Order: sequence, then C-alpha cells, then structure tokens
Amino acid sequence: MLRRRLLDRLDVPTIAAALALAAVGMTAIASATSQQPGKSGLWTTQLAWLGIASIAAIVVIAVDYHVWAEFSLSLHGVAVALLTGVLLFGKAVGGNKSWLAIGPVTFQPSEFAKWTTCLAVASFLAKRVHDRIRFVQGLQLAALIGVPMLLIAKQPDMGTALTFVPISLAAVLLGGLRWRVVAVAFIAVGLLAPMGWKHLKPYQKERILIVVEPDRDPSGVGYQVRQSKIAVGSGRLTGKGLFKGTQTRLNFLPAQHTDFVLAVIAEELGFIGAAGVLALLYYLLYRGLLAARSSQDRLGTYLSLLVVSWLMGQAAINIGMVVGLMPTIGVPLPFLSYGGTALIAVSCGVGLIANVRGRRFVN
Amino acid sequence: MDYRERWELKEYQSEQRLGRRAILLHVVIVCVITGFLGMFWYLQIVKGTDYALLAENNRLRRIAMPPTRGVVLDRHDEVLASTRPALNLVLVREGLTDADAQLKRLEGVLNIPYDVLKARLTAMRTRPTFEPLVIKEDVHLGEIAKVEARREWFPSVEVEQTALRDYPDGPAVAHAVGYVGEVGETQLAKITDGSLQQGDIVGRTGVERQYDDTLRGRRGWKLQTVNSLGRPFGTSQPGREPEDGLPLQLTIDKGMQRKLVEALASEVGSGIFMNPKTGEVLALASTPGYDPNVFTAPVSRTTWTALINDPNHPLNDRAISSFYAPGSTFKVLMSIVGLETGAITPSTTVYCGGSVMVYNRRFVCWKKEGHGTVDVHRALVHSCNVFYYLLGRKVGIDNITKYAKMFGIGELSGIDIPGESRGNPPSAEWKQRVHKEPWYPGDTISVSIGQGLLAVTPVQMATMISAVANGGTLVRPHLARNASAPPARLDVSAGTLALIRDALADVVEEGTATRAQLGPIRVAGKTGTAQVFKKSVGVDADKQPKAERDHAWFIGYAPADNPEVAFAIVIEHGGHGGTTAAPVARQVLEVYFGDRLPKKEEAPELQAKAEARPEERRAQTSAAR
Repeated sequence: MLRRRLLDRLDVPTIAAALALAAVGMTAIASATSQQPGKSGLWTTQLAWLGIASIAAIVVIAVDYHVWAEFSLSLHGVAVALLTGVLLFGKAVGGNKSWLAIGPVTFQPSEFAKWTTCLAVASFLAKRVHDRIRFVQGLQLAALIGVPMLLIAKQPDMGTALTFVPISLAAVLLGGLRWRVVAVAFIAVGLLAPMGWKHLKPYQKERILIVVEPDRDPSGVGYQVRQSKIAVGSGRLTGKGLFKGTQTRLNFLPAQHTDFVLAVIAEELGFIGAAGVLALLYYLLYRGLLAARSSQDRLGTYLSLLVVSWLMGQAAINIGMVVGLMPTIGVPLPFLSYGGTALIAVSCGVGLIANVRGRRFVN
Repeated sequence: MDYRERWELKEYQSEQRLGRRAILLHVVIVCVITGFLGMFWYLQIVKGTDYALLAENNRLRRIAMPPTRGVVLDRHDEVLASTRPALNLVLVREGLTDADAQLKRLEGVLNIPYDVLKARLTAMRTRPTFEPLVIKEDVHLGEIAKVEARREWFPSVEVEQTALRDYPDGPAVAHAVGYVGEVGETQLAKITDGSLQQGDIVGRTGVERQYDDTLRGRRGWKLQTVNSLGRPFGTSQPGREPEDGLPLQLTIDKGMQRKLVEALASEVGSGIFMNPKTGEVLALASTPGYDPNVFTAPVSRTTWTALINDPNHPLNDRAISSFYAPGSTFKVLMSIVGLETGAITPSTTVYCGGSVMVYNRRFVCWKKEGHGTVDVHRALVHSCNVFYYLLGRKVGIDNITKYAKMFGIGELSGIDIPGESRGNPPSAEWKQRVHKEPWYPGDTISVSIGQGLLAVTPVQMATMISAVANGGTLVRPHLARNASAPPARLDVSAGTLALIRDALADVVEEGTATRAQLGPIRVAGKTGTAQVFKKSVGVDADKQPKAERDHAWFIGYAPADNPEVAFAIVIEHGGHGGTTAAPVARQVLEVYFGDRLPKKEEAPELQAKAEARPEERRAQTSAAR
C-alpha cells in the first residue's frame, strides 16, 4: 500500500537527473583512474557507494518530510556530537582530521552535518510566526549553522566549512532579513576580512593569491590550478575523447577523480561535455525550485530551497576552483566527484526535494 | 477584517514574499551557471588552441639521442680512439622500498661500500624518480652474472646500455689523442646555437678537442610521451636522427708512438717525431702519461686529485707546452747565424783552451782540457763552447733573434693540438718587456750555447731541425692527415744547410751522439745538455742527484742524406743528451726503418723485444724477403 503510493508519487525527473550526473561522474572516474596503479577499479567502488546512497535516498523519500522536520533538532544534535567526536577521535587523511571510524566503516560526519543543517534550518524557519529575522532568531540561526561550521573549520576542513556559507546566505535570504542589517553585515565582514587574512596559513594565502594572479608559482601552489585550466582549455569544443585526456591520464592533473573530476570531463568531452554537466546540474536545481513552488506548505518550500542552495553553493565552489576562479580547496562536485559519504549526503539532499515534490498534494 | 481574514492576508503576503525570494535564488543560480558556461567557453573555445599547445608541451618531451663519436685512426688505419658499447649497473628508484637491504647485499656481491652508495642515493633525492642511481659504470659480464645469479636479492637492480669512448692503447696515445669528458659549464655558457647541452661528451684535450666539431657529430632527438614525473610512456615520435661524428685520420704511426712511450717510460720527458718535408707528426709523447680511458666515465675525485697533484704533472703535454733551455742543440742555429751573416766562413778557426775570457768574465768549455783549434764543423761535432762564445760576441743578439724567429723559436709552431707554449725567444726586446732590464753583452754569450734567457719547446726544436733537414723550409707540424699548411721557404743558402747537415751526421758518426747509430741508416743530430744548476758544468752527471742533473736534449733526423723523419727529444734531468736522449731516438727510428735494417744478431735484447711486437715481426719478414 505504502509502496504503491510512494511509486505513484516518485519524482522521477529529479531522480533521473541525479542518476545521470552520477553516471557521468563514474565514467570520468573510470577514465581518470585507468592508468593509476591500484586505483583503476575505483569506479566500481563508486558504483557500490551509489547503491548505498540510493537506499539512503529511498529511506529519506519514504518518510514524510514533516516527520524528518519533527526530529530535525535531534538529528542535528547527533551530527554536532559526531563532529565533536571527530575532533576528539578522528582519523586524519591528508592533513585534515575529518574522518570517523566506526568499526570497519569510515565516514565524514561533516557531509552528514550539511544535510541536518538544511533540515534544522528549514524546520526552524517554518515554525516561527514572524517572517522576518529579528535579533533572537538571528542568534538561533547562527547557532544552528555556526556550531557545525566552526567544528568543521576546526578539523581544519576549510572547504567543507565554506559550503556552509551558501547555506547560511540562503537561510538569511529566505528567512527575511532587513536590507539595513544585510548592509551592516557586509560592511562588518569587509572590515574583519584583513584580520581573518592574518589567521590564514601561508599555503591558504597562496591559494587565494593564485586566483588573483594566475601565473604565480606555476610549479608550486599554482600548479594544480594551471594544470586544471590546461586540461579544461585543451578539451576545446568536442574534447580529446573518452579515456584519451593526456592531462588526466599522464597524471599532470592531481586529484583528477575527486575534486577535479569536471576538468577530466571538460578535457575528454570538451565544451559540449562541460556544458552538458552544467545543464544537468541546472535541471536538477530547477526541479528543486519546482518542488519548492509546488510544496503544500512553507516547510517543504524552505527545505527544497535550502537543499538547492547547498548543492548550488558546493557546485559553484568546485567549478570555480576547476576554472581557476576560486582558490583550491577540497570541495567535491555533487554526484560527480569520487567519495562515498559525499555521494550519500547529496543523495539524501535530493531525496528531501523528491520527498517534498512527491507530497505536494495535501491528502 | 476578522482575525481569520487578517491571518489569511498575512499568510498570503508571506507566501508572496517567499515566492519572490525563491525567484531571486533562481536568478542567482541562472547567473552563476551562465557565468560558468561563459568561463568554459572562454577557456575551451576562445583560448582552446593555446591550452591545447600547453597540454602538448606537457605531454611531449624532447629526448636527446647522442651521436656516435667519430673514430680516430692512425696513418695505417689502426684504431687510436673509438666508441664502444658499455653496460652500467643501475638501481631503479621508482617503487624502491628496500633500498638499504639491496645496497647492503650489493656491498657483499660487488664490493662497493654501502656508505658510498647510500650517500649517492641520498644525493639524488631531489632528482626525478625515473632517473636511476648508477651503481657501477662499465661493469664486466662477470659482475652482471653475479647479480643475475641472485636476481631475487636485487629486484631494483637493472643493466643499462651506454656508449663509452675507448682508447685501446690507453696511455700510449694520451697526449696526442687527448681524452673526452662531459661538457663543462664555461664551455656551455659560450654556446649560443644550442649545439651543446648539459651532459654532452666533448673532447677535452689533444686532437679530441682540436677536432671536436668533426668528431662529435650532431645530436638528434625524438619526441617521447611522458607522464607528469617525466617517465617515458608509450611510443615515441621521430624527431631528428643523430648525425654520427666523422672519422679522423691522423698522421701518427701507432708502432712508433708505442715505442716512443715505452722508451720514455721510466723518465720524465717528451719526444716528437715528424716528417721534415710535410710536418706530419709520426709520434708525440710526454711522460709520465695517464690513461685517457679513466676520463670516459666521470672521473672520481681521488683519481683527479692524484693526477693534478702529481709533482710530475702527467696531464701536461711536455712536447708542446713545456719549455727548456735548448743547450747545445742551439749551436745548430748559431752555426747558421754565423755562416749566413758572414761572421764566419767554413774555414774560420778558433782555438779552444778549455775556457775563454769574454767581457772580463771567464766562460768555460765543457771539456776542461780544450778542443784545440776548431772550425765550425768540428765545433758542432764536438760541441765546443768556446767557438760559440766568440761567435755569439761577433754576431750580436739581434742577428740571433732574427734567425731564431725565422726558424720558429719563440714562435708557435701551429701544431693542431691545444695548449702550445711560445717559450722565450732570445731577444733584447723580450728581456726589456718581461724583466724590465736592458740586454747585457754577457747575456748574448750564454745564449750562444743555448743557456740563459731563452726557452724552447720540443716541438719548436723539431720544426727547426726539420727546416735544416729539408733544405730550408719551415713546415707546420700537424697530427690530422688533412691539416697540412703551405710551408714557408726560408731565406737561407743551401750551402750553409748542407754544411750543417754534414756536421750533424758526424755528430752521430763520431761525436757526442754515437748511441743513436742505426746500422746502415745514417742518423744526423745534435745533443744538448741544458743546465739546471750553474755548477753542473763539467761535472759527471751520474755523480749528481737526479733533481740537479741537466736536461738532456737530442734533436735530429734520419736518414742523413735524404731525411724522412725528424725528431726532438728532451729528458728532464736526464744528464747528457748523448747518453739518455739519443738511445730513445734510436729505438723509435728502429721501428720506422724496421724493414730496411738487417736482422740484429748482435743485439739479442732487441731481438727479444721484436718477438713481442707483431708489426716489427711483419717488418722483419718482409725485410727477409
């Protein structure tokens, strides 16, 4: 009975868009890793992760989003607890202590926290009476988003922490903030930025300077940006052909199957491939906006719009990095980059959109 | 409006606001995605060609293909220098996990200290990992077999093929042929056309350096696909084939060369043999020598330091770069000066009583009891000093300078190997310039017997005596067969030179150089004994310490009536030229005239030596026919 109704209401276009992105990603991962010793089977691992992510998404879709909203604070609390656990018992991979091992399973609670943050913020915004953020509401919102963000920044995983910025901007925009306050906030950030600059590590400063000055240090910090741009640019209109990208296969491009997977696609499938990925991404986000507009209540709207903002923000940081408009920080491209936890998290996010879309008619 | 209506209105307005905010978000998304689309367009369509080129440059690397260096042959097409394949034992650094264990096992098998290899491996840390560590260069097959037999011990050890310069005769050809090595920084800095690059092998000395352009050939290259570590990957595309170096034929006679080095071996000295009519150098040696093969592989610090710090300077080519007082050999030139200026005639005589007072100073002859009455012929044959003291006083320094220069003394001979010295010409102008002192008449007296303010190189003396031998033509000595230069005709009368030649033949026949006699082949020459210490005049050389003994000279040519070979030999601290230098000349001339000499029953030791020399044996059989 439940299954019948679920199938009837299943938001097929949204799910299809997400699966299409995942398929493109897997092809790119297969191509990028085929010449790397010990990594050539990585796309099958990603396929297994996609299976797990699909199950997680089905669970997210199956349970009414009002029920999820009901437990949003508890879930968010669990996420914060896990993030605290990471700082205490976490496992370091590549300098960042962002992994938590429970038995044989290792995962990144920061990815899970993005999802719970969207859920918690949406239910908070939906429950209140006034639709303008006042002081107290502002503090509450800041706590909901700021606590996990700071815990992640502490790991220090600046990239993941940065993905909370678009989520919080969306929360402020959707929650309604007086323009005066927005203006004051911008001025404050502008004034505080030089102080923040001093607290950055030298390599982080370098990565930011590269964006302003692309020819800086081409063999050092600038290397990755430069090689990524060469990979993208050399793809031209139609690309070098699948499994034929020289930048990728000869290892000039580092992290080609994770953060720079779009560079692989752009190199091997050209502008057509890159534009195709952007189109698919836009379609997915458009489905989210559609779900928001047709939602039966404000909770659904908030939920969809926040997930859309999260995915858009994360994608923008990643793509900006690939084309050299953003500093190099480890942020995966949703659905395309290699990585299990990230794939599960974005699948659960899209699951929420499909959930809202599927329940747009009040019974 | 009741409460419900107001609530509905408010709800409606709120919905409206949320809807507007959603539209704003949509606009932002569209802008960002369009922006990225534009960026991809810019990178891939507008700048695509540039980036494609950058990607190609990333991917393709020019791999240099070294040319094979040209072979150096002697006048009979015998190989003096060639290039041979060699095998290096290398340690592949990619995927190397148990370096210590493998290096320790190498110490056991090949006797290469672990510390040395470890230090060299550590020094390579900053190099790309695809560059292997060379464990040992030019290994022989036995060593490879030792490693191969324990293959499982050495998973990272491989055999690599290279090419090495090979000098089959080693030290025998060192100073004539020279050696090769990797191009130095200074030479590289001078090259602007890219014909040389780091790691190229170039000639460092001798003809290897002089004719480097011919011998080296032209580097080729191919385009090789490499990965980001620079490791070759997949196939390569042809670029330019290397052009091998051209062969170089020398005028050197390997048999004479070997014999000259052998004869000089126990001494410090040098010798040069040449064709007096053409300037073709038949043999050129300097001892102590060195093995040019040690330079083909990078020279180890200890070998280099040993060669540099050796008090006898083995790397110096004494035949062209060391200069000495010519001693009595200079009397040949003095006789020419005297006869040509008219200061003396063939019949002019002088009485030698063992010494003579000139300018209020007593100048002694080497023969205390004196030579009695001597003319120029007797004076030259018996090397009478008194005759030449008086002759020197008569002609004056300017005439001596003029003729010395004419015969190439104090001038570069132009021999085609680098490093030639000019020596000091005997001249007042030179003394004023270098010593800032005027020329004293007494100086001329010393110069007259080849002492004092003049210094000559063996190659200059060889050129001078060649001009005497060939009837007055100054030839340019040269080692490369096709390097002959037009000879310069000297303004000297044929009669003068005939008289000198007659006397020089008698020097060997009955005078100071009887040890140079060579049976039916008449040898002509002049010995010389260049003072190192003043007191050595008239002292028996054998009673002196070696370092204080005079330098021994012997210059000459053979056969006396139709010269084919001219030579100059100097042996440092060799004592009397007739005792030590003359036998060296005889031994080398024996090789040259081998087939014209009778079998030597009276000299069993020479017979024994001839047995060991195949080319001499050949010569003897042909003589027997």
